[in-house]
Amino acid sequence: MNDETMTLDLKKVKIGIHKAIIECSRRGLLHGTKWLAELNFSLENVEIDPSIISQASVYDDVDYDRYAMAKCYFDLKEYDRCAFHTEKSQSKYCKFLHFYSRFLSIEKKKIDNLTDLNYNTDPGLNSQLQSLCSELRDIFLARDMDGFCMYLYGVVLKRLDLHRAALTILESAVHEEPLHWGSWLELASLITDRAKLKMLSLPDHWIKKFFIAHTYLEQQLNEEALDIYRDLGEQGFSSSNYLLAQSAIAHHNKREVNTAILTFRELRKKDPYRLDNLDTLSNLLYVKEMSVDLAFLAHHASETDKYRVETCCVIGNYYSLRGEHQKAVMYFERALKLNPQYLSAWTLMGHEFMEMKNTHAAIQSYRQAIDVNRRDYRAWYGLGQTYEILKLPYYCLYYYKQAQHLRPNDSRMLIALGETYEKLDKIQESLKCYYRARCFGDLEGMALLKLAKLFDKVNETEQAAAAYTEYVKENYDSQTDNKQEISLAFKYLANYHLKRNELDEAYEFAFKCLSYEESKEEGKALLKTVTQKRGQEDGEMQVEMQDGSTSMEVQSSRNARNFSHLRPLTLTFTPSPDGS
Amino acid sequence: MAGENFVFEEETKNIDINIDEYRKLVRTYIDLHLYNSALFWADKVVSLSGGEPSDIYWLAHCMFLMKQYHRASLLIKNKGLDKTNKLCQYLAARCLLEAKELSEALAIVSGGDPNNTSFSAPIMSSPVDESFNMEGTSILSCNLQSALLYLKGQIYEALDNRGLACDCYKQALHEDVHCYNAFEALVKHQMLSASEEKELLESLPRGEDDKLVSYIYESLLNKYQDVPLALPASLHQSLEDNLDMTVAKAERLFYACSYRECFRITEEVLKKDPYHTSCLPIHISCLVELKMTNKLFYLAHDLVDLQPESAVSWFAVGCYYYLIGKSDPARRYLGKATSLDRLFGPAWLAYGHSFASENEHDQAMAAYFKASQLMKGCHLPLLYIGLECGLTNNIDLAEKFFSQAQNIAPDDPFVIHERGVVAFQNRRYNEAEKLFESALAKVRVIYESKKVIAEKWEPLLNNLGHTYRKLHKYEEALDFHKQALMLSPLNPSTLSCIGFVQALLGWNVEAVETFHKALGQRRDNSFSTTMLNYVMEQLMEETPPFAGADSSSQEQLVGDLLNTVGGTSKSFKLKTLDGQSSSGAGAGGSGGAWMGEETPEASRSVPATFVSPSPGQSRSIDEVEMQDSFQDENTS
Repeated sequence: MNDETMTLDLKKVKIGIHKAIIECSRRGLLHGTKWLAELNFSLENVEIDPSIISQASVYDDVDYDRYAMAKCYFDLKEYDRCAFHTEKSQSKYCKFLHFYSRFLSIEKKKIDNLTDLNYNTDPGLNSQLQSLCSELRDIFLARDMDGFCMYLYGVVLKRLDLHRAALTILESAVHEEPLHWGSWLELASLITDRAKLKMLSLPDHWIKKFFIAHTYLEQQLNEEALDIYRDLGEQGFSSSNYLLAQSAIAHHNKREVNTAILTFRELRKKDPYRLDNLDTLSNLLYVKEMSVDLAFLAHHASETDKYRVETCCVIGNYYSLRGEHQKAVMYFERALKLNPQYLSAWTLMGHEFMEMKNTHAAIQSYRQAIDVNRRDYRAWYGLGQTYEILKLPYYCLYYYKQAQHLRPNDSRMLIALGETYEKLDKIQESLKCYYRARCFGDLEGMALLKLAKLFDKVNETEQAAAAYTEYVKENYDSQTDNKQEISLAFKYLANYHLKRNELDEAYEFAFKCLSYEESKEEGKALLKTVTQKRGQEDGEMQVEMQDGSTSMEVQSSRNARNFSHLRPLTLTFTPSPDGS
Repeated sequence: MAGENFVFEEETKNIDINIDEYRKLVRTYIDLHLYNSALFWADKVVSLSGGEPSDIYWLAHCMFLMKQYHRASLLIKNKGLDKTNKLCQYLAARCLLEAKELSEALAIVSGGDPNNTSFSAPIMSSPVDESFNMEGTSILSCNLQSALLYLKGQIYEALDNRGLACDCYKQALHEDVHCYNAFEALVKHQMLSASEEKELLESLPRGEDDKLVSYIYESLLNKYQDVPLALPASLHQSLEDNLDMTVAKAERLFYACSYRECFRITEEVLKKDPYHTSCLPIHISCLVELKMTNKLFYLAHDLVDLQPESAVSWFAVGCYYYLIGKSDPARRYLGKATSLDRLFGPAWLAYGHSFASENEHDQAMAAYFKASQLMKGCHLPLLYIGLECGLTNNIDLAEKFFSQAQNIAPDDPFVIHERGVVAFQNRRYNEAEKLFESALAKVRVIYESKKVIAEKWEPLLNNLGHTYRKLHKYEEALDFHKQALMLSPLNPSTLSCIGFVQALLGWNVEAVETFHKALGQRRDNSFSTTMLNYVMEQLMEETPPFAGADSSSQEQLVGDLLNTVGGTSKSFKLKTLDGQSSSGAGAGGSGGAWMGEETPEASRSVPATFVSPSPGQSRSIDEVEMQDSFQDENTS
C-alpha cells in the first residue's frame, strides 16, 4: 500500500481539517479534535482563503438552545444531565451528545466504582451498556445513523466484546466521516493481524495513510511504518509532532534505543509540556538505566500534570528502576484508576508483581493487558513466565508461542519456548527452538549453551562438543560473569577429547579448566590423566595398531577434530515427525 | 308518584309538605357526598311517604353509602322489598356482600333459594315489581340484570366457587356488553384461557355502536398469548392517548420482554395519573426487571402511605425486598398483599419466586399451586411449577405440567422452550430441536418489526446450540451460540459453550482463546478450567514449536547468525525467577482431574415478573452435561 504515492493538495486537506475540527468539537470529541488541530497546526504555513470555511453556523441547527445548554453540561462532565436534556431532540448534535454522554456516564461510573482493579465491574452498569447498545442497534438498523454515531456504536460494541460487529460498524464509520481520527484508532485496535488489514475496505483518503502507518506500528511492522511517516513528512506534514512521536515509537519497537531517545528529545524540545507517549520514553530510559534522566522526566511530568496516566507510568518506572517495587505498583495502580484501558500500565504492573513474586497478581495484570490489546507481546511473555513458575508447562508454551508469534524474530521467546519444551521432555522441539534462537542472534547468549547441554543429555556428544566449542570460542575472551558455565564447557570438552583420545585438545581444555575456581581440581585430575595416557599411548601404539578398533577410533577422532572446527550450526538432527 | 302533597292533619296545624322537595334534597346531598344529611332527610321522606318502596330504596342507598351495610339490608328485608323490587334486591345483596354475609347475599340474589344455581331463572320467576325503574333512576332492565349477575359472580368468587362465578360474569357480559366490571373480573383474574377469551369476545352481542366496545375490549385482551406488538387497528385517534389503552400497550411490551420501552410508557402514564391502578403492577414489575431499587423503594413508600388498604402497595414493598435479596420480609409483605386481595395473582407468583430464589422448591411450588388455582386461565403458574419440578430432577412431572400449561397457552414460546428443555434432558434431541426451533420461530414473529429479539431469549438460542451440538451439527451449534452472545455479550457460560464446540470441531486455537475469555468473565468456573487445560495440551502437542518452524530448513539456518540489536527491553528484566514456585494457581491455572467432581450449578435466572409474570426461565442446559457429552463425543 506504500506504493500508492499520491501527492496531497495541502489546501484542500487543510480546508477539510478545518471543517472536521468544527464538527468534532461540536460533538465533544475532544481527542479527535486535538489530533486534527495538531495536524492542522503543522500545516500552519499553508494559506487558505478564510471565506471558504464559511462557518456553517450552529444556529442553523434545529434545537440550538437545547444543544447549547446540553453541550455545557457535557463539557462540565454532568453526563446524566446532558443525556436527560438531549433525549428527544431531533438535532443531530443533540442526538450524538445524548448517546455519547450516556456512554461516558457509564464509563465514569465504572471508574468511580472501582474499588479493586481486578474486580469485574458492576453488572448493573454492564446491563446499562447493553441497553445502550441495543438502542444504537435499533437506530442503526433503521439506517438513521451518521458517521459519528456509528463510531460510538462501534465503541460500545467493542466494549461489549463483540469485535466482529464492531469492526464492520467502524469500517462504515470511517467511510462516513474519514476525518474523525477516533474511529480510525478504534478500528486499528481491532485489527489483529495483517491479513485482516488487507481485508478492510477503506475510503480513499489521505488520512488512510496515517491509519495504515499506525496499524503497521502496532503490528511491529516498524520499517514499513517508518517509510510511510517519512513519505508523509515529505508531503508537507514534516513539522507535525505526531509524526515525530510515532517515529520515535517505531525506533523503540525496533530496539534502536538511542535513536528513539534522540527523537523523543527533539520532540520534547518542540513541545516541552506534551505528556503523550512519555511513558514510552521512560521505558527507554529504564532500559538504558539512565536514572538521572528518568528522575528528571518524572519530576517534570508530575509538575506538568500529576494525574495523567503517562505521568504515573513515568514515576512508576522511576521507582521500579530504584527497586522500590511497592511504590511502583502504587503508581501503576493510580494510572489504571485514571484509565483502566491503559495498556502499558497493566503490563508494567505485571512486571512489578513478578519482581515481588506475586504471581497471582501478575497473572491478573497481564491478562488485563491482553484484554486491552491482544498484541502486547510483553504481556504474553510475562504470562508465560508466571506460568513457568506455577509449573504449568502447557499454558506456558501457549503464552510464549503467542509472544513469539507477535515477534517472530525475537530470540528470547524462542529460548523460553525451548526451555519449556525441555521441561516437557520434548527434546527435538526444544532443540529446534534453541537452534532458531541462535539464528536470530541470541540476545542473551544462552542458546548455544542450552543446545550443548541438551545434546549432551540426549547423548549426541559430537553435537554437544561442537556447540560447546563454539560457545567457548565466543565467550572466552569476553570476560563475562558466567564463569561457571564456561568452566563447565571446558570441563566437558576436555573430557570429550580425552575420551576420543585426542590428547592435545584434551590437554588444552583441561589446562583452561585450571583458570576457574570451580573446575580447578578436576582440571588437574584431567591433566594427570592426559599425561598418563600420553605415556601409555606412546608405548601401546604399535600393539594396538593391529586391532581394528583403535584405527577406527583414530579415524573418528580425526573426523571429530575436523568437526570441532566447524561452526556448530552445521549440526544436523532429524526432528521426529511431529511429537505425538 | 310525582308531586303528591300529603296533608297532615295534626292537632294544631296541617302543613303542606312538598315531599318532592325533600326527595330532591336527598339527591343533592348524595351528590355532594354529604351522606349524613342525605340519610337524615331520606329517613324523613320515608316517614312522610309512608314507606314508598322508592323512598325506602333511597334510604337504604344512603345507608349503603355510609357503609352501614347490615342496617341497609335489614331495612330492605324488613319491608320485604328484596322479593318484590329488583333494584332493592340488588342493593340488599350488594350490602350483604360488602358485609361479607355471603350465604345470605346468595340467598337474596337467588330469590330465597340458596341452592338455586341457575342464573336468570330466580329473578325472572320471582314476583318482582315490574316498575323497578323507579323515579330518578334511569336504570335499564338489562343493566340491572347484568349487575345482578355480576354480583352473583362476585359472591361465588368470594365463596371460592370460581367456575360458577366465571359463568355468572359471562352471563353478565352478555346481558350488558358495557359492564366492564364483569369483563375486568374475567380478564384481570385470568379466569379464561386465550381461546376462551376469544370465544367470549366473539359471542358478545354487537350492535352498530359496539364497534368501539369490541375494539377496546380487544385491545385489553390477548396481551399475553400472541403478544402482537401492534395493537389492533386504531379506531379513533383520540382514544390512542387514553391511559387504559396506553397501559394495554405497555403490558404487551412487557410480555414481549421489552422492559425498557414498557417502563418508559408506564412512567409516562404515572406522570399523568400517579395511582393508575392497572398500570401500577406493570410498573412495579418493570422496576423489578430493570433492578431499579431506589425508584421502587420510593414508590412503595408512597403507595403504602397513601393506600395502605390496597394490595398493590404491599406488593410493591414485597417486590422491593425481593429485589434487594431479603426474602423474609419480602414474603411477609407479599403475604400481606395476598391477604388484602386474595385474587392478586402477581403477589402469589412473587411469593413463589421468593422461595424459588432460595432453592426452596417445595414451598415455591405450593405458592405457585395456589396461584394456579386462582388464575385458571393463566399458564404461568403451571409453567413455574414445571420449572421447579425440573429443578428437583423430576422431569416427568415437569413435562406433565408443561403440557398442561401448553393446553392453556398453546403458542407461548416459553412453554415450548421448556418442553424442549425436558426433551433435551431426556436425550430426545431431535424432538428438542424441533421444539426449540418452533419456539424460536414464534419469538421471531413477535419481534418481526424490530428485527432484533430481546435479551431474555438468550437461553433459547444457547439451548439450540446445545441441541445441535448433541446432534453433532457443530457449525449450527456455533452459529446459535454466537447469536446468543450477540444478545447477551460477555456471557461466560455462552463463551464456555462456544469454546466447547470449537474444541469439538478441533479448532483448538479458537477454543483456547474463547475459554480464556470465559474465564476472564468468571474465574472460578471449573468446566472452563478443565477444558482449557485439556485443549491447551492438545494444541501445544499439535502446533510447531514456534511460528515459521516448518518453513525454515536447516540449511538456511547455517551461518545465518544474525547480529541482532543489543539491549534488553524492560519486559525481560524478569528472567531470574524460574523455579521459585509460588503457591496457588493462576486464573486458569488450577488444574483438576479431567473428570472433576463438578457440582452442578443450575444457571437459572429466577423469573422475576409478576403481572402474570413472564418468562425468564432460562434453564440453560447444564455444563456438567456438556462435560459428559464431551467424553462421549470424544471417545466415539
